[in-house]
Order: sequence, then C-alpha cells, then structure tokens
Amino acid sequence: MSVVHRIRLPIGAVPLVEVGHLAEPAEVLATRRPPGPGMSIPVAARLHRSPAVAAACLSVTPGSYLEAGERLAEDRGREVVVPSACLFLAYDLDDGTALVAPLLGNEPIVGHVRGEVSAIDDEGMELRIGGALLEGVGGTGGAVHGELRVAVHEPGEELRASMIDVDATGRIVVGGSRASAETLTRARAMGVAGIVLGGLLDKELRDFETTQQRRRQVGGTRGDFAVVLLEGFGKVGLDPGMFAWFRAHEGRMASIFGSSARVYVYDAEPPPARRALPRPGDRVIAHRRPHAGRAGELVRLLDAPHAAASGISARSAIVRFEGGPTAIVPLANLEATEPVPGA
Amino acid sequence: MTVGIETELAVLIDVGSAWAKASVIGRVRGRWRLVTRVAQPTAWGAGELQRALLERLEAAVDARLAPRMGELLASANRIECHTARRPGRIVVAAVSRELSGGAARRAAEAAGWQVAEIVTLDDGRSLADRLATLQSVETDAWVIAGGFDGTRSRRALEAAALVASARRRGSGPVIWAGSDELADEVAALFEAEGCSPVGNVRPDPRRESTAPLREHLQGLLRTVVAREDETHLAAIALPRAIGALAVGSGLRILAVDIGARGAISALAEPDGSFDSRIRGGGGLAGLAGVPGSAARVSRLAGDAGDEATVADLLQTLRSRPASLAETPEELSATHAAARVQAASLIEDAAQGALDLVIGCGSTIAGAPHPAQAARILLDGLRPIGVTQLALDAASVLGPLGTLPDDEISEGIGLLIEDLLLPLGTAVVCRGGEPGRMAMRVTVHRAGWPDTAPVEVRSGQLQVVPLARGQEAELTIEPGDGVTLGAGRRSPRIQALATGGAIGLILDARGIPIMLPRRGDDRRAMLASWRDALAREPAPGVERVA
Repeated sequence: MSVVHRIRLPIGAVPLVEVGHLAEPAEVLATRRPPGPGMSIPVAARLHRSPAVAAACLSVTPGSYLEAGERLAEDRGREVVVPSACLFLAYDLDDGTALVAPLLGNEPIVGHVRGEVSAIDDEGMELRIGGALLEGVGGTGGAVHGELRVAVHEPGEELRASMIDVDATGRIVVGGSRASAETLTRARAMGVAGIVLGGLLDKELRDFETTQQRRRQVGGTRGDFAVVLLEGFGKVGLDPGMFAWFRAHEGRMASIFGSSARVYVYDAEPPPARRALPRPGDRVIAHRRPHAGRAGELVRLLDAPHAAASGISARSAIVRFEGGPTAIVPLANLEATEPVPGA
Repeated sequence: MTVGIETELAVLIDVGSAWAKASVIGRVRGRWRLVTRVAQPTAWGAGELQRALLERLEAAVDARLAPRMGELLASANRIECHTARRPGRIVVAAVSRELSGGAARRAAEAAGWQVAEIVTLDDGRSLADRLATLQSVETDAWVIAGGFDGTRSRRALEAAALVASARRRGSGPVIWAGSDELADEVAALFEAEGCSPVGNVRPDPRRESTAPLREHLQGLLRTVVAREDETHLAAIALPRAIGALAVGSGLRILAVDIGARGAISALAEPDGSFDSRIRGGGGLAGLAGVPGSAARVSRLAGDAGDEATVADLLQTLRSRPASLAETPEELSATHAAARVQAASLIEDAAQGALDLVIGCGSTIAGAPHPAQAARILLDGLRPIGVTQLALDAASVLGPLGTLPDDEISEGIGLLIEDLLLPLGTAVVCRGGEPGRMAMRVTVHRAGWPDTAPVEVRSGQLQVVPLARGQEAELTIEPGDGVTLGAGRRSPRIQALATGGAIGLILDARGIPIMLPRRGDDRRAMLASWRDALAREPAPGVERVA
C-alpha cells in the first residue's frame, strides 16, 4: 500500500530534488534563506532628498526580496543599493530610512519521510510513501524518524521511565496506555526520536511541553522529539489489534509528525482499519469513559434507545469486553476495528 | 390493495459537523405535526439516517400507512441545512496584541473564521520568527490592522509588509482594517484587487469598531470557503428563522447553538432585523488546550472531577466530537464547557433585555433533562429581566430558515405547536448584597388562590411550578440596589410569565455569578442550584437553593 505525504515549501525555498527522486527520511529536499533581524538603511540621506520626496524614489515595494547590490532607491543618478540579500520590510517617512531583514545562510528543509517525489510546485512537494499511515488524535513536537521499538508487554501497560534505555536512542518507542512527563523527559534526554502511545493525560503532555519550551529558551535542548497519541486522552491503552500490528513491524523504519498526529511505517502491511457504525459480531473499541480504550465484541444492538448513567438516551449496543465484563455502550462511542489481513 | 388513508410528509434535516438531526413532519387532516425525529453521528451517513427515520416512522404511524412508508419518505420534500464543510482559516497580523490585534481577532471569530495564527509586533518574537510563522501557516485569508485613523504608523506598515513578504501573490485575499491614512499604501503592497480596505477596528485609542470588518469577513467567508448555496448554511439559516419568528411573535429573541466545532448566536428584533455571530472555535472542541480552560470548567461544574480529568475530557470533545458522555461527571463537565462558550459568544455583544431565549443544537436542546438546558442558557447568557426560555428540541429552526423569505413565516406558523419546547420564564436580577433580599415576587394565576409573595435572597435560585400552557402575572419588588435591567419609576414591576418544563425561575445569583472561593462551599452551592432546577416539583411548592 502507498500514501501521499505533502511537504509545504515556504516562499523562496529552492527544491534540490526532481520528480521521480527516491528520498530518504534524513535527506535535504530543499533549502531556503530565512530573514534575520532587521536593520535600517538610510535612503533619504543618500539621495539628498527629504524623507517624503525620497519615498517616491523607492524602486521596490515592502515585501520584496532583493539580491546583494540590487537597487533599493534611485533619484537623479544617485542610487541606494542593499549590501546583502535581504527582504525590504518598510520605509520610515519620519527619518527616511528603509527597514530590511538580511537573509541568513541556507537552511535545509528535511522531509523526514522515505518515498518517491511525485509532484513539485511553488507551494510544496508530494512524496508517495510505500507503507502505512496511522492518524492519531493528538500529539506534540515536529517530525522525526527512526526504527520502531515496542517497549511494553501489554497494550494497556504504562510506559515507565525505566523502560527507556540506551537501546531506545534514535528510535521511535511504542508504549501503551500512558507515560508521565518524567518518562517523556527521560526519553528525550536519552535521545529517543519519538514516542507513540495509546493515550496520555493532557496535563502530562502540557507539563512536558512547558518544560521543553523553558529548556529551549535557555538553549538546553537540541534535536527534535515528537509524541503521537493514537486512541485518546487519559489512561487509554492501544487497541490490542493495533498493538499486535506494531509488534509485527518492530524494527521497521517509521516517521512521526507530532503536531499533526501522523505516523508512517515503511514497507508495512495495512494496519487494522476503523469503521463507524459497528454491527453485531464486530470487534469494537470504546472511546469514552468508563470504557475508554477497551476492546471487545459487539454482541447485540438494543431495539430501543438506552439511557446511559449520564441520562443521555441513544442507540446502544451490548459489548462483551475482553476480560469478561459486558456493558451497554452508546453506538456513537464505538468503532469497529477490522482485523489485519493474514493475521 | 389500496390504502384508505393519505398523508403528506416533509423531512427537515440539520447536518452538523458532528451530529445530524432529522425530523419528519406530516399532514394529516389538514394539520402539520411533528411525527418523529432521530439524531445520529454525521459520519454514519445519509443512508443510515433514512433507515433510522423509516424504522421510527413504521412504528409510529397508522398501521395502514406503514407498508408505504419507504415510498412516502423517499418522495417527501427535504428541507436541509448544514454546517460549512470546513472552517475558514484566517491569519491576523497587527501592531498590538491588545488593541488592533485583539479587535481584529474578535471580529474574525465573530464572523465565523478560525484564526489560524495571530502575529503582532509586540508578541515578543523576533522578526525572523514572525516571518517563518506566517510563511508556514495554511490560511484562506489575511487581516492586517494597526494605527489609529488620521495617523501614519510605521509599525502598521511593517505589519502589512510582513504579510506581503509571507503571502504568495494571488493567494488568499488581504483585508486592511487599520489606519485610513495608510489604506492606499498598504493596498500598493499587493497585486491589484488583492487587498480590500475596511473600517479601522481601532479608529482611536479609546474606541473599538469591529462591525465593518466582521460584516466584510462574513461575506468573504461565503465566497472564499462556503461556495455552496449560502442559504443552506446553518449559520445563515438559523438567524433567518429567528428573524421570522421575532416578526411573527413581536418578541426580541436570542437563539444560541453551541456546536461541536463552532457556535452561532442570533439576536432578532420584532421588526425582523437580526444580528448574528458565528464563532469558528466557539464550540465544545474550542476549549481543548486553551490555557486555564480546564481549571475554569472544573470549577464551574463542581462535580466533574479535577482539572486534569476535565482537561482530558476537553481533548476528547475535540478529537471525538460525535461521542457521548456516558457518566454524569462527563456530562456535567460538557455542560459547564457549553456555559463557558455561551458566555464567551455574547461577551462583547450589547444584548439588553430579551423576551425569549432559545437553545438550539445537540448540546443545549439535546440535553437529557430540561433543567440542564435551562442551566446552560441561564448561567451562560445571564439574560437580565423577565425572559422566556425555550428549546428547539426538534432541530427544525435551521432547516426552516433555508426556505424562501416568504415561506419561513408560513413554515413556522404551520409547525407552531411543535416548534419550541418551552422551559418556562426566568426572572434574573443584578446587584444587592449577599444574603439580603434581592426581590419579592408575587405570582397571580387566574383561577388560583393568591399565594404569599416569594422572597429571593441574593445568591439564591428558586423555582415556582408553572406548567406548560399556564400563564401567571408577576409583581416583582426588587430589593435595595437590585435591578432587572430597565430603569423603573415604580417600586413594583409587573410582568407576564408563561410556564414550561421547569416553571418560573427566580434567579438572584447576580451577573456575573459569583462563586465561593472554598471548594467545598462552591460545590455545595453549585449542587443546590442544580437540584433546585432539576427537582420534580410538588404542586404549588417552591424549590429553593
């Protein structure tokens, strides 16, 4: 199976690859020169004009990119040129100066995915990826890649700090039902590329983000790190079917995108699919408390709407959860999970 | 075999971003009545909605009609409204976060846009960071604001230049909502017709004027994002229906719908004019990840668990918007979140005294108990004075608002018996000292013996039974320093109250509601208000909290 991944290119980015190129996750696909801190260039003084008159002599409008030596303003044989490549931002009518932002050195744009470049346009490029895409419900961080390593034994097991060892360095660690902010901090400190979990407390995620932001401000962290949640927020385990799929693909290369909650696993079989509106006999996953993250079998649809403990009356089903207990669950809180082909 | 009974059906469908609601109305012996309704996650699809309706109809109608129901339903008129397929995303670039930036953001949100990014020249970021942020954001339109009218602000031009540097030529439209002196200069930064000037959102240091930008953005939203027939958009249709209802009833009406993603309010005057507000991030999902929101919701709910638990729930509402609260705690937190969003929806609107407040949508009108819906309306909107409360329980107002102008009133008139579920009448006052009498209310019901006046103290909520269809004349005597909104010449105020599922609600909790600082006291007070509204009344006995 294959999926298409799109990479946005900012204005001024120069692609380094062509359509048909086979890109590796760490490969630089394009470069750009970002603007740096602003500086002022006297215009009126150099043209020997008043600030108001000099404004009419500008050759470019704010927002224009200029190369080194390119003309900024011109009048009666006198001209003002920019000393280096820059972005012209504004002209000050009070003192007759131009505010420009010099362009810094080339900055690489890394794709973080493995695939074939299938299209390139002004706004971005598309790569066709041979593998599986999982879309989660939340996450944090940028794009990272590494080999998959399953660190827990059960889909509902918490990922603890002690499970993060040197073997996890540079890898994407798959955990179970949650991880504390301390575990995430240790993982980052140990050089783990990223973490995939069933669930995580929103508070733990925010605490972790806050500590990372503070460390960044004082220059204490380098490199990227990402977390993706696949099932929900809170103590929510991975779907056992999904957990088995991850185990079957341990050691495969994967890329994860924290802020957009996407996981690509290369050269992988299709993951267990999800479907709304399950039917009797389907394997299902429940998404709300008190059953959030639990898997089971939908035994029967109730003939009439059923009122939950909250008082909400809705179409409901009897579900036999793994481990034995049976419960009535609103159908809207259930998703059918399709078995992995060949599993 | 021929059937000896005929009918005519119409299906009214409201497709929201998370839930779809459908009602079947039928005409039998010349009268249109609501026959049945269903609601289901939108993701289940139109086929499942049709199947569920058919199943309900076959069980509900005359047995002679049942075999033909599929055919009748398939040929029934369908009147449908829906939420915009995707939210319009907008970037705000401004000089000041508090002044121009804040005003532009509020205008954009009130017009139904989702603010994808806000960059201001005082946001503490470096120039390079601001440019990188603007270059990486995906947006449908840009708003630039800064500088007071009659001035030439260099900083405002810088904000415009930032957008000119980050935006690809010919991409999303740019709106200049800053100093009028700079309009031509800013327009010159963009391609011809790429930038439109509107009135300054901050014309001077002491005045905010968001209406011109909001109105422009409302129009732009329809052309840029919602290319479908705009009259079928719920954000357009609901206010139209409320406008027609206001004309027909001669009432001043506020309708509110807190959806999964966005929220809509429509304030209609008896002359039919209306002011609608759409907040892209004003739905239940909009509170997830917002600093402080989990703590606020936890505090307002009282019985929903701690801040961390509520934070997880808010994220669940964002990531799985069609799922339902199964536990009382989760429902309580969801309703508290709806109250927060309802308050936020009207925070900068001068709403004044209202005659009728209508709760719409699954969150409010679909609440399991009418008391919960009343609580969202009362606590979120704080309608001062004497106001009727009702629910659009069958979700028919939106679909009716898609009809041609001259047919909306007709549709409302035909369905008047089933249109709204009355909750009762609320008397909300402001002011007074804690523990002292806020108002004394005498309730006169025709044919009933006069009862002693009801005294309500500041901080109290009392309910007097008044059933649906009953009316009562009220004599209200506000206490010292207490007001019901309008100025008064007499120490007594006369008003008419109509009954409903809750009754007559006497609310002296103040505006805004002040809660005790101590957690135990706060929880006890919230529980007492909840119980006062929800308790099944003994006839003629007030419920007090």
